[in-house]
Amino acid sequence: MSADTVIRTPEAYAPEARARHNGHRPENVFMDRWRLEPKTQRVWGVSHAIWFTLMGVGGGLFILARALDLSSRLGHWFGIPLVDWVSFVAISVGGLILIGDLGRPLRAWRAFVNIRTSAISWGAWADLVFLTLGGLLVLPALRLGSSQPFESLPWEAEATSGLGQTIEIVAMAAAVVVMVYAGGVLARPRAIPYWHSVNVPLQFLFSSAAISMALVLTMAAANDVPIESGDLWILIGFLAVLLVTIVAHLLTRTEAPGKRESLDRLLRGRYRGAFVGGVIVLGTIIPLVLAVVALAVDGTRDALAIVMLVLLVVAGFGLRLLTLRVGIFPPVKEVPGLFKP
Amino acid sequence: MRWGMVIDTARCVGCHACTIACKAENESPADAFYAPVVEYEVGTYPEAHTEYLPSLCNHCEDAPCITACPSGALKRRDDGIVLADEDVCIGSRACMNACPYGAIHLFTGAEGEMLADGTRTLPTVQDRVARERHQVGTVSKCTYCAHRIDFGLENGLTPGIDPLATPACVVTCPAECRIFGDLEDDTSPISLYLERRGPSEVLRPDAETGAHTSYVG
Repeated sequence: MSADTVIRTPEAYAPEARARHNGHRPENVFMDRWRLEPKTQRVWGVSHAIWFTLMGVGGGLFILARALDLSSRLGHWFGIPLVDWVSFVAISVGGLILIGDLGRPLRAWRAFVNIRTSAISWGAWADLVFLTLGGLLVLPALRLGSSQPFESLPWEAEATSGLGQTIEIVAMAAAVVVMVYAGGVLARPRAIPYWHSVNVPLQFLFSSAAISMALVLTMAAANDVPIESGDLWILIGFLAVLLVTIVAHLLTRTEAPGKRESLDRLLRGRYRGAFVGGVIVLGTIIPLVLAVVALAVDGTRDALAIVMLVLLVVAGFGLRLLTLRVGIFPPVKEVPGLFKP
Repeated sequence: MRWGMVIDTARCVGCHACTIACKAENESPADAFYAPVVEYEVGTYPEAHTEYLPSLCNHCEDAPCITACPSGALKRRDDGIVLADEDVCIGSRACMNACPYGAIHLFTGAEGEMLADGTRTLPTVQDRVARERHQVGTVSKCTYCAHRIDFGLENGLTPGIDPLATPACVVTCPAECRIFGDLEDDTSPISLYLERRGPSEVLRPDAETGAHTSYVG
């Protein structure tokens, strides 16, 4: 030991240790973390809710605009229907958000590998097929200045020929998968009881369909295309089924461990205002009432379409985010008398 | 060959030696504990007491993590051990939300000890070791100490009997509450124990995972 060596007493270390710990005691994993109790999932959150929403809306928009034969009447950009642009951009941005959220984004191509069992892989393939075929389908309509460089392709953007219709049908089928698979990602495993229900993908599907329909109506209003009563009936139908699936989900298996805690948070706990007031009342029932009003009073349709769109987008995102936030794993072992919320 | 573990909770004294042995053996990231001992209280005062539930990956026959993983990073070997391949994992975390046991851990790259207020201490030597051993942004999990099993089999040892061929948590447990072995071999320690102690229970039976880790006691 050299003469310069300073032997510090435990007391001398104390201030340094306190400074390192920022005045707080370290988390004691033995005491703080490993308790037999319901655990909330924390690995998926806002970015996944955005991803779910964008995928659903992108797929729904493409299907509805074509099924209702509205895509060519809702404006164009570079010759391609605006509604198709919005659809492709929504799905592309949703996909990029998902890739950005991965732990290893540069390996994103591997999401295509496990198509046999993984809902994420199904979705990745559906995204790819939809964007490829949807893009190819509208390509003949692409206008750059005064030229249409892909006009000679053997199909047309409106899908009037056999080949065009085939591409359109496959693209629409892929769009359906794009709308549904996010719910399937949550609903397939049994680990989180609130998610393990067919009602979750159904909620996501009909929420996406309602948002897409409201967007179609808003774009129609913006392009001076009259909003037909039939379109409003479709929106009313989507909202009614959405409401039924939400209520059905809230009323089934209410005492199952894990789901009990999820329902408690949604209906009585910290998310009550956002879920009951926001998602159910403002985001589903009010738009339903507004759609009925628009149906009855012709002159209100354009304005109400915008209001409904805003409400549905916010509530649709909220529905997905809250579904993620109340994903609760029940205790791995049931102990009678414990964990009543 | 089908490796499995039975845990006799009546024997567990809650010393957490298995947790620490696992961490030392696998050099797991700071926040990842592959073999925690979960605690819970039963009864009411003055008859209350604490019970312990040693836990780890259940190496399920019908593993939901494998089903959910989009990249094929999670695989089951022929001997039933479920492994996570960090070279293949894309970090989607689908497996973490699919596992009913919370047995899969994401290495976020965070260093230091987590403090009660959510901040962290300075990095530790263990963080450096974990960074060399694991890839940031990927998941890792209990392997039943597959490296020890493989080493043992290559050298004529019997997993579940010879310490060098047996998972570290099993070898370390002073109360011998973890019994490991080949579920398909009637003479293995686990088969003999289950024959003597009667049927075992799995955690979260509602998840229907076909867990290879079960409990008595």
